[in-house]
Amino acid sequence: MTYSILLYLKEVLRPESIRLFFCAKTAPLILPKHFRNFPETTGRECTNCLACMMICPSDTAIEVLKIKGEWTPVIHKGHCVRCGFCVEACPENVLDCGRVLDLQRRDRISFYSEFFITIDPTLCKRCGNCSVACPVNKEIDPTLAGSGTPVSDEVIMKIIDGEMRVIHPEKCTGCSTCELTCANNAIRVARVVQAMQVPEELT
Amino acid sequence: MKKTVDVALPVGPMHPCWKEPVRLKCEMKGEHVLACEVELGYAKKGIERIMRGRPWQEVMFLAERICGICTVIHNYVFIETVEEISEITVPERAEYLRVIVNELDRIQSHLLANFSYCYTIEHETLGMYLLSIRETALDQLELITGARITCAYMIPGGVRFDLSGEDAITLQEGLSAIETETMRYRGMFETGPMIGLRSKGVGILTTEDAKIVGAVGPTGRASNVPFDVRSGHPVYQRLGFEPVVYDTCDNWGRIMARFDEVLQSCALIRTCLLKMKPGSIRGGGAIKGGEAVHSGEAPRGELRYYLKTDEHGRVIDISIRTPSIPNIEASGHYMIPGVSSAADVTSSFISCDPCVSCCER
Repeated sequence: MTYSILLYLKEVLRPESIRLFFCAKTAPLILPKHFRNFPETTGRECTNCLACMMICPSDTAIEVLKIKGEWTPVIHKGHCVRCGFCVEACPENVLDCGRVLDLQRRDRISFYSEFFITIDPTLCKRCGNCSVACPVNKEIDPTLAGSGTPVSDEVIMKIIDGEMRVIHPEKCTGCSTCELTCANNAIRVARVVQAMQVPEELT
Repeated sequence: MKKTVDVALPVGPMHPCWKEPVRLKCEMKGEHVLACEVELGYAKKGIERIMRGRPWQEVMFLAERICGICTVIHNYVFIETVEEISEITVPERAEYLRVIVNELDRIQSHLLANFSYCYTIEHETLGMYLLSIRETALDQLELITGARITCAYMIPGGVRFDLSGEDAITLQEGLSAIETETMRYRGMFETGPMIGLRSKGVGILTTEDAKIVGAVGPTGRASNVPFDVRSGHPVYQRLGFEPVVYDTCDNWGRIMARFDEVLQSCALIRTCLLKMKPGSIRGGGAIKGGEAVHSGEAPRGELRYYLKTDEHGRVIDISIRTPSIPNIEASGHYMIPGVSSAADVTSSFISCDPCVSCCER
C-alpha cells in the first residue's frame, strides 16, 4: 500500500506531469500539409485521357465529365479511398492531394500501363451495352448515345454479325467502364500497371 | 459442450473489453473456469472472394482493409508475394523504407494491444498514457506515407514516396520521444504491484502447449518459442535482427514482450536510417502469371499469403492465413481454462492480442 502511494507520488510530482496538469490543451484540429486528402483540381486543362479512371482502385470513385464545355474529373467522395493514385497517374497534373504532386515532381515517379481486352463468348449475350457505355466510343461516334448502335468503324468494339468484336484495342484507355456496365462479367480489361522512376541522370 | 458444472458464463459477443465481436462460452465452478469455447463469425467480410479477378492496384487496397490495426503488413506481404511470382527486384533504399514503415506500424499496433490489456485489468491511466504515445507513432506514419492507418505505401518494385532529409530528422525526434516514454511505461508495468497481482501467473500457456497449438508472435515468444519470420527475411538479417523471448508463459510476459518489441523496432528504424543511401525507390516490372506462398511477421505473428495470378497479373485465387487464428485457439483452450476468477477471462483473452476481423476476413 505504502509502496503504491509512493509510486503514485513519484509519477505525479514530476515537473513534466505538473506542467501538463496546469497547461492541458488538445492539439489544434488542423490537417497537416502532408495529409493525403481527397484529390482536388489544380485548374489545369484536362485532356480526357482517362488515366485517373484507369488507375482508380475503387469502382466509380472518379469520373471525367464535360462540365460547361470543359473536361473535368469529378471525385465521388463516398467511394474515394484517398490513395492518391489518380494524382500520380495524371500526365497533365490536373489533380492534387496533400503533397503527392510535389513528391511526384521531386522523386520523378510515374506509372506505365498496358491494357488487354478479353471477351468471353460463352458469357457474352451480345447486348452491346459496353460498346455504348465506352467513353472513347462516345467521343469517336457522337450519335452513339442517341441511336444505341455505333455506325463508325473507328470505335474500339462493336457488334458485327451478332458477335462482339474488338476492332481497335490500341485506343483503349483502360477506364474499365465496360467492365462495370457488363451484366455477365464477360468483358474484362486487364490493366497491367508498372511503377516507374526516371533515373536522375536523364533529367 | 458437455455440461459438467453449475454455471455457464457467456462473455460477449458485445462486451466493454472487446474491440470486435467474439463470444467466449465459459463453464464455471464458482469463480473457477473449467473449460472455454470460442465462437467466431460475427464479422465475416468475404474479402478473399472480392479480391478475385482484380489487378494488384485494387487488391493491395483490399488487403489493407482486412485488418484495421496492422494494415501495413498485409500490404507488405501481398506485395512481396506478387514480387516473388513476377521475379521483381526492389532497390535497396526502397527495402529499408519498407522496413521503417512496417516497424512504425508494429509500434502502434503493440501500443494499442498493451493499452487494451491495461484497460481490461482496469489500469486505465497507463492505458491512456500508451494511447498518447501511439499518436506520436501514427504522426510519423502520416509524415512518411500521407495517411495514418491505411497507408498504401508499398507497390510492386518499390515504394510510393521517398523520405527526405527534414522528414528523417522529424522521424528521429519522434522515435526518441517514443523510446523515452515507452521505457517509463515499461518500468511502471514491470514494477507495478497491482499490475503484478492481476498479471503474473495468470493465463499460463506452457512451451509444450504453445508448440502444440502453434501459437505465433508475442504470444508464442512469451512462452519461450523463439519463432519470428523476420529472422529469415534478408533485409532484417542485414540489420542483425534477434527475436525477443520471454519464459514467464503468463499474461505479464506477453505484455512485456510487446514493450520490448516496441523498443527493438525503434532500434531497427534507427539502423535503417543509418544504413540507407540515396538512390532509386522504384524499379518497375510487370506482373506475371504464377503462384506463390509467402510469409511475413505481422504484429500478432506469422501472416501467410497464397496467391495465384493469371498471365495479365489478375488474382485468380488467394488465401490468407492470419496469426490470430492459432492465438485465439491457444487462448480459448490453454490460457483461459484454469484461471481462478471470471475477471481473468477477459484479461487472458486480450493478452494474446486477438484480432477478430483479421481472423474472419
